[in-house]
Amino acid sequence: MSPDGGLSGRQPKAVQSALAVLEAVATAGAGVTAREVAESLELPPATAYRLLNLLVGEEYLVRLPDLRGFALGRKVAGLAGAIAPVRVPSAARTVLAGLRGRVRAGVHLVLYTATSLRVVDEDPDMPLASASLVERHLHATAAGRLLLAEQPEWRELLPPSRLTRLTPSTVATADRLDACLDEVRARGWSQQAGELHPGTACLAVAVRSATGELVAGVVVTSARGAVPVEQLEPARECAAELAPLLS
Amino acid sequence: MQLPPASPVAGLLRRRLSFPEVLAQSVSALAPSAAMVTVPALVLVASGAATLPAIAAATVLVLLVGWCLSLFALRMAAVGGVYSYTAKGLGPAGALLGGWSLAVGYAAVAMSALVGAALYVVALFGLPPGSVAVLVLLLGGLAGWCTVRGIQLSARLALALEVVSIALVLAVLVALLVAADGGPGSAAPVVDGEAGWSGIAVGVVLGVTAFMGFESAGTLGVEAQRPLVAVPRAVRWTPVVAGALFLFAAWAQVVLLRQAPLDLLMSPVPVAELAGPVGALGKLLDVGIATSFFACVTGSTNALARVLFSMGREGVLPPALGRTHRRFGTPHVALAAVLPVLVAVPVLLLLAGTGARAVLAGTLTVSAFGYVLAYVLVSLAAPLFLRRIGELTAAPLVGGIAAAVLWLLVLVVALAGGPLAGGRALSVVYLVLLVVGLLWIGWLRLRRPARLAAVGVYDQATESSVLPGSLPVGPHR
Repeated sequence: MSPDGGLSGRQPKAVQSALAVLEAVATAGAGVTAREVAESLELPPATAYRLLNLLVGEEYLVRLPDLRGFALGRKVAGLAGAIAPVRVPSAARTVLAGLRGRVRAGVHLVLYTATSLRVVDEDPDMPLASASLVERHLHATAAGRLLLAEQPEWRELLPPSRLTRLTPSTVATADRLDACLDEVRARGWSQQAGELHPGTACLAVAVRSATGELVAGVVVTSARGAVPVEQLEPARECAAELAPLLS
Repeated sequence: MQLPPASPVAGLLRRRLSFPEVLAQSVSALAPSAAMVTVPALVLVASGAATLPAIAAATVLVLLVGWCLSLFALRMAAVGGVYSYTAKGLGPAGALLGGWSLAVGYAAVAMSALVGAALYVVALFGLPPGSVAVLVLLLGGLAGWCTVRGIQLSARLALALEVVSIALVLAVLVALLVAADGGPGSAAPVVDGEAGWSGIAVGVVLGVTAFMGFESAGTLGVEAQRPLVAVPRAVRWTPVVAGALFLFAAWAQVVLLRQAPLDLLMSPVPVAELAGPVGALGKLLDVGIATSFFACVTGSTNALARVLFSMGREGVLPPALGRTHRRFGTPHVALAAVLPVLVAVPVLLLLAGTGARAVLAGTLTVSAFGYVLAYVLVSLAAPLFLRRIGELTAAPLVGGIAAAVLWLLVLVVALAGGPLAGGRALSVVYLVLLVVGLLWIGWLRLRRPARLAAVGVYDQATESSVLPGSLPVGPHR
């Protein structure tokens, strides 16, 4: 939504055309040119170019380095990630159950897309207070911080205006979050204590594919207020076991 | 096609500036309040009764080139602004010519604004005239600190300063209008004088100088939060807002100066002469103009450093200029390279005995030439760029060519007719600077042709900007 115009919903035709343009780029594949999009949709060229520029401005589309071709933008992953069904292989669930048997803390699995995360396997004995809060408030959870630390610039994913102060100890300023994410990158794992709910702490360890991509996270939560660092090693071993199963 | 892991202009602070902060860059480099009080009176002397049409025509010319710029700004997030845009339409040689001319423009206007700010601070506190050079040093240092310390700091400072100074100048003009009740003065025949076509042409040329710097939001392609939305909007809206302010200021000055004596109209800043005797108005005006000039120093320096930063990254200038500050994310080497020049030239001119007003006006004239040539080239580049990427339609073809022709006329009138302060002597100064630039381009073409190929870097798509899996990527870091 643009800051000045707001969303009026009075241009249904324009929205339809914009979605058709997005679809045309998705079908044609990366590198399709503006003229090809206009021809395939039988839109007047000036209209097609305007819609393409709007979608590029909103980052749903990206202009490739030759400035002629278009590709789907990273932001599309956020749309798709939120609705795609998730399948966790049963072998992975077995590995998680193993860890749950060994540690006295909540163990959860989250899966990542390029721009979002989803809680896909919650500890049945010690469930999260709210999985949707974990998925939404990336700055205040260990799982979210792993995702933010992975971004070249976290502000593109989470505008600083959305750094909600959920508890008195939430990291809610851009500068403090910068420092916090630097720490995550240096250490390789993330933590938070009492920033989402008072008295609850957690840590998260990354599960990476063979190419180093962040695919999932093992989250260990504790209701005793302190970050459960004693579970770091077991969580790391679990993440190493999960890597071949999830990527 | 494989995308690179990092942008060729990485290192600058990414995606920080909101739209008002991007707008502040353009507005501050344009220095509207200083222009509001100085330019209309100059146009009045040249164009007489046709003053308002001349300023309206100047606004239309600037809107036209602003629209051409937005065609680029919608499609690429650049750090070199007009220079990087030109590269995509005219290729390396045309871009370097435009970029050099633009750099001369930014540098000269920064010098001019430094002297202007110093001059008005001296007037405000009643300091001895000899202190102008010292103040240039101090203000130059302060501007250097602001620009190195971070783009967000300097953008916010500029925004605040501009809001204050525009409000002050508007308040002073309104107060003078309310108080005005005299009959026609000895300046009335000039104010209401019939102007021929040449008078109007000169008025338009003087009028467009008021807008220069409006394009500088184009240098914030990396630093703006949503560059492909914010930058085109800033380059299209700045001339609209500035044009409205200038038209009001011109109308007010037509009314006020018609009642004034002729020697007041011919004084350097007639509005200041009018406001001077009226209580605190004179002081308020001085504060407004001084802050506007200072914001213009930081705005122009930011833009200049980013053009040189781009050239450093391309390798057409020493690569050190392409370095960025680890913490502040500013092109600190480029800033450190230009600031001593920006301060030294006016200080040396002042120490050599040139009057402060002459330095202010002379550097402004040189900068105007620099901008106008850059505008001609970028207007010409717009349709060529769109043709190259297969997106040319009728409007940009007509608009681009019309803008290029009209701005070329502005350049010819300005260079040959000598209507700007300092006359033809400064045309020669600019042409000498242009020859230096041409020699540099010639040397690059003959001796370092490989470097020319890199001209035109911008914040291009990287592997992290596309949907994962939609393009083949190289080995992961």
